[in-house]
Amino acid sequence: MIESVGRFIIATLEAVGGVLGLFVDTLYWIFVGPFRNKPPRLRPIFYQMVFAGVRSVLIVFFVAIFTGMVLAMQTAYQLEKMGAVIYVASLVAVSLCRELSPVLTALVVAGRVGSAISAELGSMKVTEQIEALETMAINPVRFLVVPRFIALFFMLPALTIVGDISGMLGGFFIGTTSLHLSPDLYIHTNFKYLALKDIYTGLTKAFVFAVIIALIACFEGLNTKGGAEGVGRATTRSVVISFVLIILADCLLTAIFYFSNV
Amino acid sequence: MDNSQREVIISLKNVTKVLGSVRVINNVSFDIYKGDIFVIMGCSGSGKSTLLRLMTGILKPDEGNIFIHGRDIAKISGKELDEIRRNFGMLFQYSALLDSLDVEENVALPLREHTKLDDHIIKIIVKLKLSLVGLKGFERYYPSEISGGMKKRVGLARAIALDPEIVFYDEPTSGLDPVVAGITDKLIMDLSRKLLITSVVVTHDMQSVFRIADRVVMIHKGEVIQVGAPEEIRNSSNPYIQQFINGRPEGPIDFFKEDTSILEDLLK
Repeated sequence: MIESVGRFIIATLEAVGGVLGLFVDTLYWIFVGPFRNKPPRLRPIFYQMVFAGVRSVLIVFFVAIFTGMVLAMQTAYQLEKMGAVIYVASLVAVSLCRELSPVLTALVVAGRVGSAISAELGSMKVTEQIEALETMAINPVRFLVVPRFIALFFMLPALTIVGDISGMLGGFFIGTTSLHLSPDLYIHTNFKYLALKDIYTGLTKAFVFAVIIALIACFEGLNTKGGAEGVGRATTRSVVISFVLIILADCLLTAIFYFSNV
Repeated sequence: MDNSQREVIISLKNVTKVLGSVRVINNVSFDIYKGDIFVIMGCSGSGKSTLLRLMTGILKPDEGNIFIHGRDIAKISGKELDEIRRNFGMLFQYSALLDSLDVEENVALPLREHTKLDDHIIKIIVKLKLSLVGLKGFERYYPSEISGGMKKRVGLARAIALDPEIVFYDEPTSGLDPVVAGITDKLIMDLSRKLLITSVVVTHDMQSVFRIADRVVMIHKGEVIQVGAPEEIRNSSNPYIQQFINGRPEGPIDFFKEDTSILEDLLK
């Protein structure tokens, strides 16, 4: 029993060390590499941005718009009792920007992009492609991880903004139709209580989530062992670990923002 | 040829590698001379591929030293190792082409990464290398669209893209039909003779061994059985070698790891 707990702790610490090591490596190739004549290649970055960002817009849009609608209906149900239905607008806007849009977008991207990254790198690992890169003196972190990391780092906050706007649209739709609020008043209330800090704390979260998704997905992919089954395992692990870490980081960041009055 | 006068390019001294609890490579020493086709032969699981991984620096030896051009590759920094690797080419058993790139981009990859050549010139070099392996006109195909033999030849074109001094081949003829295998052997010989490339070939294809080898080492259970010219190996009185080159099921190389029969196992 104690032995297995110990083994689990050692394995976890090793994994944490591995992920941190990958993070340091990635930062090295982004910031120091260019001065050593090894700048990141632009084409793969754009390619990954299209894959991770542009192709995720539609699903983020749908997830956020329905969340906005649900949020509007659920809060109206409570606020009606106090005759304060108009505050649905600000409630939807603030909770989306601060919390729901960053988290839901990150979960969607972890499921859609993180899993794809793990599966791709994992199958490259088991078919010796990573080893081939190494023998060609091409660093796999610079060649594979950096473009994916940079792409996610910029595209996840961008998608979060898409989520913010679509969610508010969803709220607006419910507010002006079934809640019979006037569009003018809805928009006015929506922005009246939405401070800039609500948006940038949300975006700060998105940047952190992007780092989590990229590092976990790449780490699991690069450490895949044992054929097709291993690739499947790596993909599952990548998604599960990303989900848990995203929620955990969200909780920590919210606490930090809350207690520092940001 | 008197070997003592020749330039040693790769030298293994008492190399030992332990993977898990198994001594995969046990106290192996040999020299590889410049310009030779050096063949490492042995049964599956004898440690041949591990030897190759040790020589390319993917694995580090637990004991002993591996010298390439006189420099111990286990003791140098990653940057220096990368410099040495730039003079390497490697053909992988399953080609290991990047799936996301087409044939031309795969062959161009080392050129794009390690040279400052103009794209125009890179394309010409790629054409040249592809015609060398008989695949001109296949530039736009993806690895998933071509046959295994063709993939191997693309892998070879990629391995020689930077005009390396040393090319490592991991089972270059396995999984190929006899004609394509013969063509691959001829390619290896051409590259070695015309471009003076040193070749290190891991294989258990006996026909291929005696067709191409200048020197041969036989490995069994991670240990060197014998090193020598192909004729010496063919005429060797060593029972391991005779069993291996003639493919006899009976002999000192035992297929079964334990002596207990299945019946005894079942009755336990």
